[in-house]
Amino acid sequence: MRRVAPGAVVAVVMAICLAATLGAAVAPKVQFTDTTLKNGLRVIISEDHTAPVFSIAITYNVGSRNERAGRTGFAHLFEHMMFKGSENVGSGEHFALIFGNGGNMNGTTNKDRTNYFDQLPANQLDLALFLESDRMQTLGSAITPENLQNQITTVQEERRQGVDNQPYGKTFETIDDLAYASFPYKHSVIGSMTDLSAATVDDVKAFFKTYYAPNNAVLAIVGDFKTQDCLARIQKFFGSIPAQAPPPPVVIDEPVQKAEKRQSLDDSLARMARIDMAYHIPQAMTADHDALTVLASVLSSGRSSRLNESVVRQQQVAMQAVAMAEENRGPGLFRVIAMATPGKTIAELEKALDGEIEKIKSGTIESWEIDKARTSARASYIRGLSSTLQRAVMLSQYATFYNNPGLINTRPEQLAKVTIADVQRVAKQYLIPENRTVVVTSPRPAAPKGGL
Amino acid sequence: MRIRTALALTAIVGLTVASLHAQAPAPAAQGQSLKGVVLKGKAPVSKDILKVTLPKPQEFDLPNGLHVIVLEDHRLPLVTLQMSITGAGGYYDPADHIGLASFTASLMREGTTTKTSAQISQQLETIAASVTVSAGLSSQSGGLSASCLTENLDTVMAIASDVLLNPAFSEEEIARYKTRTKASLLQQRSSPGFLASERYSRVIYGDHPGGRSSPTAESVDKTTRASLVEFHKTHYLPDFAVVGIVGDITPAEARKKIEGAFGAWKKGGLARPVVEDPAPIGPAGVYLVNRPGSVQSSLSIGTQAISRTSPDYDVVRLLNEIIGGGPTGRLFLNLREDKGWTYGAYSGLSTLRYRGDWTATAEVRTDVTEGAIRETLAEIAGTRDQPLPLSAVQDKQRLLVASFALSLESPQGLLSNYVTSWLYRLPADYWDKYPDRVMAVTPAALQAAAKKYLDASRLQIVVVGDGSKITEALKKFGPLQVYDTEGKKVSQ
Repeated sequence: MRRVAPGAVVAVVMAICLAATLGAAVAPKVQFTDTTLKNGLRVIISEDHTAPVFSIAITYNVGSRNERAGRTGFAHLFEHMMFKGSENVGSGEHFALIFGNGGNMNGTTNKDRTNYFDQLPANQLDLALFLESDRMQTLGSAITPENLQNQITTVQEERRQGVDNQPYGKTFETIDDLAYASFPYKHSVIGSMTDLSAATVDDVKAFFKTYYAPNNAVLAIVGDFKTQDCLARIQKFFGSIPAQAPPPPVVIDEPVQKAEKRQSLDDSLARMARIDMAYHIPQAMTADHDALTVLASVLSSGRSSRLNESVVRQQQVAMQAVAMAEENRGPGLFRVIAMATPGKTIAELEKALDGEIEKIKSGTIESWEIDKARTSARASYIRGLSSTLQRAVMLSQYATFYNNPGLINTRPEQLAKVTIADVQRVAKQYLIPENRTVVVTSPRPAAPKGGL
Repeated sequence: MRIRTALALTAIVGLTVASLHAQAPAPAAQGQSLKGVVLKGKAPVSKDILKVTLPKPQEFDLPNGLHVIVLEDHRLPLVTLQMSITGAGGYYDPADHIGLASFTASLMREGTTTKTSAQISQQLETIAASVTVSAGLSSQSGGLSASCLTENLDTVMAIASDVLLNPAFSEEEIARYKTRTKASLLQQRSSPGFLASERYSRVIYGDHPGGRSSPTAESVDKTTRASLVEFHKTHYLPDFAVVGIVGDITPAEARKKIEGAFGAWKKGGLARPVVEDPAPIGPAGVYLVNRPGSVQSSLSIGTQAISRTSPDYDVVRLLNEIIGGGPTGRLFLNLREDKGWTYGAYSGLSTLRYRGDWTATAEVRTDVTEGAIRETLAEIAGTRDQPLPLSAVQDKQRLLVASFALSLESPQGLLSNYVTSWLYRLPADYWDKYPDRVMAVTPAALQAAAKKYLDASRLQIVVVGDGSKITEALKKFGPLQVYDTEGKKVSQ
């Protein structure tokens, strides 16, 4: 998938016409160059002078799906280590320099990738390139046991704050664990407390060498600069970082599920019963997945959606109900999640949810329900253009996942091709009981109150 | 109530099974720990501070008193509307009907005399537009906001006007709203964040409207169609309202469309609604909300501070940034980057027309509760006891000024600034001079503000956590008052 240009840097100017989908609102299309340095670093540059700002995003082709048993949570823990200093940048200095100069930054990890981004005033281009290249080149030599221990405990608090101390925290992990048969998507991104504690400095160094190589990353930069000058600077900062052997491929061998899986959970922090249903679906950017995305919109996008209008408002069996088609590079899940209204049973709620799915399959879908999904894709594309950061993130992610940064422009068009018949077909094909996993979470009174 | 679906984790905010019963021994608080950051100073930094020229809005009044602010920005085919209606917020709830303003705002969107709630939703969502009405329990004003593609502006303005002027308040929608709201009152008690904010606001503001974080089931029950109609009629008035419009529209078009949508809104002719400060805060206190099974303690430490119009606003804002503004604040560097006790520790300043609060927050693992409180208090004390180093102050001054420049990438942010100027009657050149005012703050002024506003004898400590593990530790900070997760005081 990585195309390394031998010899000189090659730049390809992309120009994609969008006029057909944009109708009345003609938004500017995103223009960019797509170049691969000799060391395999793919560089996407998009010039935009509307504000004296730029954003850089680097997507590394590694997520929790690349982890091994016994080291769950490691990809995300590693992301934290990227802020603890490299050869020429002190621990925490990245925060200080970016925020101190008026910028924004963060790193995020999910199942499929890890990304890092910085947004700064236009005059700080070298600063961002220096910070990102220094850690891509030298992080491995700067890891200390103290810094690692500090971030292990920080991430453990992140886990407590987001999972263990929250109602329904366990529900997420349970449903993925039950639904997936193969390891890469079965475990949570945050990982287990035990595995986090077990991480060593050697693990960090090995992970760095394998996955944080220029040939395993895509850099996208959007904003107020001149493309050729920007590319020359990127070459200067990143060009000498050596390529590494390609990482081992991720094997996700998810067998076809033959029978419904079901589990009940007690949650002492919850106050209301909740049902989570997850149906196996294909990877994103396929025709079926696009249809499932529109199906999720019909069911749960906005107040006019079927789950809200029927299940929440008319039948009043749920306080809230949502559906979403997870966008994974590999096999994903179509999730339906609902919280029962006090006084209603989970059985009543499940029946109502199943009823709505049945109505999709055998009833009528109105054309406005499809228009809603189309217009919403077009509007979010236009809104996305207002931020250089969002464009940089999407360009680097589309290049990493699908070898096609141009999806940033063509995505609304793809979704617009979905028809009512497509939506009904995928509902009949995927939203069937034997293809699903159901987890019911019930509130349980807290442990005996007793004295303090 | 929100179903959590975000799956990506972030390095900062975004997004061993330790059940130690004893508190880890708390070392003497270090305070001012900057060990969490090492500056090598090798990165190339441009010293130029970005000079920005702010686009100027066009402003005018309609005959009914509605003030209009227009900011033209044709970069994208989008228009956003922000309206703030002074007098329609929860601050003006009848004393025996807390939450009425918030119920009224929510139900205005649930149908008008000519359109049902479902019709409005369908019409808006089919064109990817939004119209929302909301009113906070403590705020002075109610708010209406709308956003759409330029091509749909007429449709959206018509709906916004209809929702604002002709709400139906149908019995059917009221009944639905009551059921839903009462369930969410129950649901919110499972969140440590809600429990912390409920107790903390009560401690800081007492019976003042600032102390409200949730209506009660009783106030939901007693809501009738008549009470909603009456609140709408007497509080949704244009006299002291402002509407800002930003995006792909010229001032002339904006005037025409706003006159068309809101020109018929009748003036009330009443005096400007008054606002009072909360009673001065009492002596320092320590409060526990006992949440059995909690694996973290949620800390809120702070006090009453200043109003938005205080002459000390810029100084206190900078002081807050130094103590707990983001990952470069002292709380984050100490509690996370040095100690590894928390995913994040921050502070914030809440300012309205009345005296607001300054608050430090963190969620820490249970066995370091005592140490985390000591470190937080020590960081606060560090800003009072000696002047801050000039370089640290300058770093934060540059941060505030440069991030202000960067925020201009979003035209909505700039419009909010101009709406704020009008609501608080700030000078016309307030935002032009903002960078200069921030740069003029001295270490001596910061220390004086810390002494004045963050005095130890007034700092309140509120903790949500497992009482069986942290009660003894909390008692070391003063006499402890304990509440349960229902919000009721527990006798000890």
